[in-house]
Amino acid sequence: MSAAPDVAPVRGARQRLVAAELLKVTSTRMWLGFLVGTVLYIGVGVVAVILTPTQPGSPVPTLETAAGMRNLFAQAGGAYVFAIVLGALGMTQELRHQTLTSTFLAEPRRNRVMVAKMTAYGVVGAVYGLVGVVFGYALALALLPIKEHAEVPWTALWQIAGGAVLGCALFAVLGVAVGTLLRNQIAAILLILVWVLLVEALVVAFLPAWGKWLPGGALSGVLQSTGFGGAEYLPVWQAALVLLGYAAAFGALAALTTQRRDVT
Amino acid sequence: MTRSEPTETAPWTGRPLEVRGLTKRFGDVLAVDDLSFEVSPGRVTGFLGPNGAGKTTTLRCLLGLVAPTSGTSTIGGRVYHEIPSPALVVGSALEATGFHPGRSARDHLRVLSRASGVDERRVPVVLDQVGLGGAGERSVGGYSLGMRQRLQLAAALLGDPGVLVLDEPANGLDPEGIAWLRSFLRYLAGEGRTVLVSSHVLSEVEQTVDDVVIISVGRLVRQCPLVELTDHAAHVVVRTPDPGSLRSALTAALPEAAVALTDDGALTVSDARPEQVGHVAHAAGIELHELRAASTDLEEVFLTLTRGDAP
Repeated sequence: MSAAPDVAPVRGARQRLVAAELLKVTSTRMWLGFLVGTVLYIGVGVVAVILTPTQPGSPVPTLETAAGMRNLFAQAGGAYVFAIVLGALGMTQELRHQTLTSTFLAEPRRNRVMVAKMTAYGVVGAVYGLVGVVFGYALALALLPIKEHAEVPWTALWQIAGGAVLGCALFAVLGVAVGTLLRNQIAAILLILVWVLLVEALVVAFLPAWGKWLPGGALSGVLQSTGFGGAEYLPVWQAALVLLGYAAAFGALAALTTQRRDVT
Repeated sequence: MTRSEPTETAPWTGRPLEVRGLTKRFGDVLAVDDLSFEVSPGRVTGFLGPNGAGKTTTLRCLLGLVAPTSGTSTIGGRVYHEIPSPALVVGSALEATGFHPGRSARDHLRVLSRASGVDERRVPVVLDQVGLGGAGERSVGGYSLGMRQRLQLAAALLGDPGVLVLDEPANGLDPEGIAWLRSFLRYLAGEGRTVLVSSHVLSEVEQTVDDVVIISVGRLVRQCPLVELTDHAAHVVVRTPDPGSLRSALTAALPEAAVALTDDGALTVSDARPEQVGHVAHAAGIELHELRAASTDLEEVFLTLTRGDAP
């Protein structure tokens, strides 16, 4: 009996793992439902901003200002909500349906699996971001003629689009990390929604000095939004680094806790 | 233990499994307690014990899913995560392993083939092998328990591995499926592969296994070829008007035999053959009314062994 198994190590293990994770996403229909949700959510956001009546002294920047126009197009980055939930489901579904056993049997180097999963969801998040931008921009440009508005900030549009794609990718990665750390699917979804749509949204809106350092505030930064009363968020590059930092820190923590945990 | 080595041309190699002093504690529960045993290539080994005996935990330690508290378990001398492309070496189907209900069987296997570096062309091959060729496009959510078991087996076979570790593979199979599984496992072992099959019912695997590893409350009770267990189950039934004298004579002449008086007045003598018992009776001048070889139900032997009062 020779001691060493004479199987040649297969090349491109990392790429294969990412391909496997992407196939996991596309081989069930959930991604499609989430994409429909993304489009509806962004549609409602864009329509709401356009229909908000312009009142003198309103704390919200109006469409007659450059900041107001950037806020309108920043609505196109709304896919991040769906990206982070989808990312969380990417891990909690594996626990719920007990497919994690098969996953770690196929590749026992768990760090690689975690990196591949986060990479795959980063890609999926970016695609969601892109679809959101295309749809959101098209809808905004189609509806703008019904309102008095400042000039369309074409240069900023490219930057906001880039920010939306990057932000959604990083939020999806954050979602995988949160799902891994919380493990329970319902708890993860609830916590994410309450945090993103309520707690963080309030802190970002009313305590921007603090909120701009939170993931949601940093996202507002890369989307070049302006808060109530003209509150400023971080500059784009700084905001992008903060987002990257959150994704990297939570991602590393998630990978670390997965390393030796028993899969039963 | 002396089956022929697998041929050089076989893409896989049956490798021995070795569990050494394996201990796993979950909080206050000692699930596996200093367990040691070996599994040989070319044979089907039954890994037996009642529910909760620690079978699944042992298998999960062997496959690197659960970190042992102490001890080791290796496949061909290596721990699972040290094996490059492990799916090509070990195929496994474990309990509490699931499927996404919205994913088709084919896509489930495609995901695994990508993740483990197996050629995707193996997917239809293994689906056919387990008799799911026509159902591959269907969502697993609509699968029966038996079909899920077959899909687990297909996943285990994906890398054409030389070692198969199957946890309760007969669960949920109908009698026809069990018969199919039996011949399939015999065939795989006949090719020189290592096959380890766990079960909580001995009778389920009795006709399949060559060797048994029996555990109870996390400890090894017995590791032996199945034949030894069958011998253990054999005993002699003898009837006489004078059981007391025969009992003394037997105890004196056959010290290793255990003699017991049954409710209906017969004596049972284990670890002895009828001719030995007949000879002792004849020598002692004791009249016999009945003398025959009998065998305890193997399942009963198994139950006695795992009840905890066995060595």
